[in-house]
Amino acid sequence: VSPVVSIRVELFGIARRRAGVDHVWLNVNSAGSSLGELLGELARRFPSFAEACLDGERLRRGFVANQNGDRFVSDPSTKLQDGDTLLIMSADAGG
Amino acid sequence: MHGAESKLTQRNASRHVAPDRQNVLFAYHGRYLRFDASRHEAEFVALDEHVLRRYLGGSGLGVHLLLAEGAAECEPLGEQATLAFVFSPLVGSPLTTSAKFAVVSKSPLTNRINDSLASSGFALAGKRTGCDALLITGRAASLSVLVIDDGAARLEPAEELRGMTCGETESLLRQRYGPEFSFAVIGPAGERQVRYATISHDGRHAGRGGSGAVLGAKNIKAVAVRGTQRCTWADPDGLYKLARAISQKSFGPATAKYRELGTASNLLVFNRLGALPTRNFRAGSFEQAEQLSPESLAAARGKVQSSCAACTIGCEHIYGLAGRNKSSSESAAASAGVRMEYESLFALGPLCGVGDGDAVLRASSRCDELGLDTISTGGTIAFTMECAERGLIDEPWLRFGDGDALLRAVEMIGRREGIGDLLAEGSRRMAESLGGDALSFAPQVKGLEIPGYEPRALQTMALGLAVGTRGADHNRSGAYEADFSERADRRRITPESAALAVETEDRAALIDSLILCKFLRGVFVELYAEAAEMLRLVTGWNATPDELRATARRIVDAKKLFNQRAGWTPAEDTLPERFFTSSTSDDPAAQLDRGRFQAAVAAYNKTRGWTADGYLEQDAVRELSRDHDAVIEQRAVACLPPAQSSKSYAN
Repeated sequence: VSPVVSIRVELFGIARRRAGVDHVWLNVNSAGSSLGELLGELARRFPSFAEACLDGERLRRGFVANQNGDRFVSDPSTKLQDGDTLLIMSADAGG
Repeated sequence: MHGAESKLTQRNASRHVAPDRQNVLFAYHGRYLRFDASRHEAEFVALDEHVLRRYLGGSGLGVHLLLAEGAAECEPLGEQATLAFVFSPLVGSPLTTSAKFAVVSKSPLTNRINDSLASSGFALAGKRTGCDALLITGRAASLSVLVIDDGAARLEPAEELRGMTCGETESLLRQRYGPEFSFAVIGPAGERQVRYATISHDGRHAGRGGSGAVLGAKNIKAVAVRGTQRCTWADPDGLYKLARAISQKSFGPATAKYRELGTASNLLVFNRLGALPTRNFRAGSFEQAEQLSPESLAAARGKVQSSCAACTIGCEHIYGLAGRNKSSSESAAASAGVRMEYESLFALGPLCGVGDGDAVLRASSRCDELGLDTISTGGTIAFTMECAERGLIDEPWLRFGDGDALLRAVEMIGRREGIGDLLAEGSRRMAESLGGDALSFAPQVKGLEIPGYEPRALQTMALGLAVGTRGADHNRSGAYEADFSERADRRRITPESAALAVETEDRAALIDSLILCKFLRGVFVELYAEAAEMLRLVTGWNATPDELRATARRIVDAKKLFNQRAGWTPAEDTLPERFFTSSTSDDPAAQLDRGRFQAAVAAYNKTRGWTADGYLEQDAVRELSRDHDAVIEQRAVACLPPAQSSKSYAN
C-alpha cells in the first residue's frame, strides 16, 4: 500500500470563487501525487472549479499553478511531495 | 481672444485626390488639429497614410507627432511644450474596448516621454471632431476651456472652475455645453502643476506621468470635444462579424478575473508570493492584506460594476463607503462609490502600511477628485513616511499604517499645502532635495514611482521597470507575465529575461497604438495576426503580422529617440539602490543580484538592436528622423480625403 501524502492547495481569484473555499488539504496516494492527479481530485470535489479552470488534467489557459511559492508548473506529470503547497491562480497578473 | 473662433488654417491640403479605393483613407481622418493656446490659432495638419501605417495611432502616433514638434527638447511645463490627445484607427468601430485615447507629452515628473491612456466617450467624441489627434501647445492667458466643436477650436474663460474637482468640473461643463460634448479635465492638482497630476474623463484617468500638470501649465482646465465626422471602414461587414466574435470571447474565461473581481484580485496572489510592495518596498507581504481583498471590501460595503463605453468586459468595481463620518472635503461622488483598481489599492494600502479599507477607498477617491495619480501619490507618501521614520524630515504625524495621515497627506499634495508642496514634486525630487541616502530608497525609476510589482520577487519585471521609456511602469512592460509562468525563475534574473521583457513591451506598444484594452489580451491567441486582421478590416491595409511586429519595435524605438533627445543616459536604466542591497524583509530568497541585473540590461539592449549601453544605432535614428521630418514636409503636400463623413450627433 502506497503511503498517503498531504498536499495543501490554495486557491485565488476565480478559482477560489468557483470552488467556494480558499484552501483545501488533499490526501492522495503517493503513487499518484502528480499535478494531474491532484487537479483530478480537485475536479471531483469542486465541479464548478473544474468547469471554469480545468481542461482535462491541465489548467485552462488563463490559470497557472505554483509549487510552494517558488516555481510555476503545468506538466500534469509534475511530482508533488508530502507537505507541498500548490497555489492556483489567474495567469493574468495585470493591474 | 477668449470666446472667439480661432483662426483656422488648413495646411496646404489643396491637392485633391480622386476618392477611389486606392486613395481613400479609411478609419482615419488623415489630419490632426494643432492648437496654439498662446496665439489662439488652430491649424489642420495633414497626416500621410504612410505615417499612419508606420505609427498607427495612440501612443505610437503620439510620440511620432511629439518628435516632429521638437517636444523632447522643451521644458515640459513651459509654454512651448506640446501635449497631444491621440485617437486611433479602431476608435468608433464596433470592436470591444476600442473607445480609447492616448495623452502624450513630455513628463514633468520624469522629463522623458509620457503616454497615458484613458477610455470612453472622449475618444468617440474627440475622433468625431474630424481629427486623428488634437495637439495643444502654447499657454492661455487665463484659465480656460478649450472647445473643439467639429474641428473648430476656441478658448473660453473658465476662472469660475478654478479649484473645482475633476467630477465637479465635468458635471458643470456638461450642464453648460450639453450631452453631445465630452470632456477631459484637470482637478486642483493639475492647476497647481503637481508633477503627477492626471487628466480625467468620466471618472477615468490618463493617470501616469503628470499630463494633468502639462495641461494645467497651459492654463487649460478642460478640453471639450464634439463632432459629427465619422470615419468609414474598409470592410464593414467583415468588421462587424469580427467584432461580434471578439465580444463573444470577451464574455468568457479569459476576462472572468476582471469582470467578476476586478484587478484588485491581484492583491492576495501577490501577497502570497511575497510580491506585494509593502511599507515603501521593505516587505513583500502585508499582514492586513486579507481585509483589503476585493471579496472583503465587497462584503463589508457592497459593490456595483461598470464599464467604459464600447466595452463588453466591465472590469470596473465600485465599492460603497462604510457609514462612518465623512470628511468635510468628501464629495458626493465619493459617497456614490469608489472605483478601485489593484494599483490604487496597493499604493494607498500596503505600500503605506494602511489596512483600513475605508481609509484606502477614501484616499483613492480623493486622488480621483483632486486629479492625482494614485501610484505616484502612494509611492511618494510611503517614501515620506520612511523619511519621517528615519528622521530625515520633521513630520512625525506621517506614520506607516495611519489612515488619517494618509488622507491628510493626499489633501496637502493636491493643494500643494505645507509639506504637500514638496511631495507634489514626486519622490525623486524630494530625495534629491533631502540629500543623504534618500535617493537609495525613493521608490522610482526615471522619477516615475514604481507600481505594485515587487522587483526582487518578480525579476523579469524588475528589468521591465528599469528599462521602460516612461519610467517604472506596468502598462508599457508586462514582463510580470513571464514571472507568472514557467518561462522564468521569478527570483533569478538571467540574460534570457531580456527577450521576454522585449516581447511584452512590443505587444504593449502595439495594443497601445491600435488602441485596445490590455484586459482583452487574453482572448487573443496570435495577437499580431489578429491585429493585422482588425487593421485590414478597418483600413484596408494588408498588413502582415511581421509588419506589425516591426511597427511595435519602431514605436518603442521612437520613444527611445525622444528620451535620447531629452537627455537620457544609460545610468537611468536601473532600480533604486535598495533593491540591490537587501532582500525583502519577509523573503530572504527575494534578492536581486546587481551583476546579473546589469547583464540582463545589456542583453535587453542587444535584443532591441541598440548599442551595448542602450542608444539607438544611427541607422534607426535616421529612419525615425525621416518619418517625423516628413510631418513637417507634409504641411506642404496634400492630405488624403477621409472616405466620407456622415453628420450626426448621435453616438
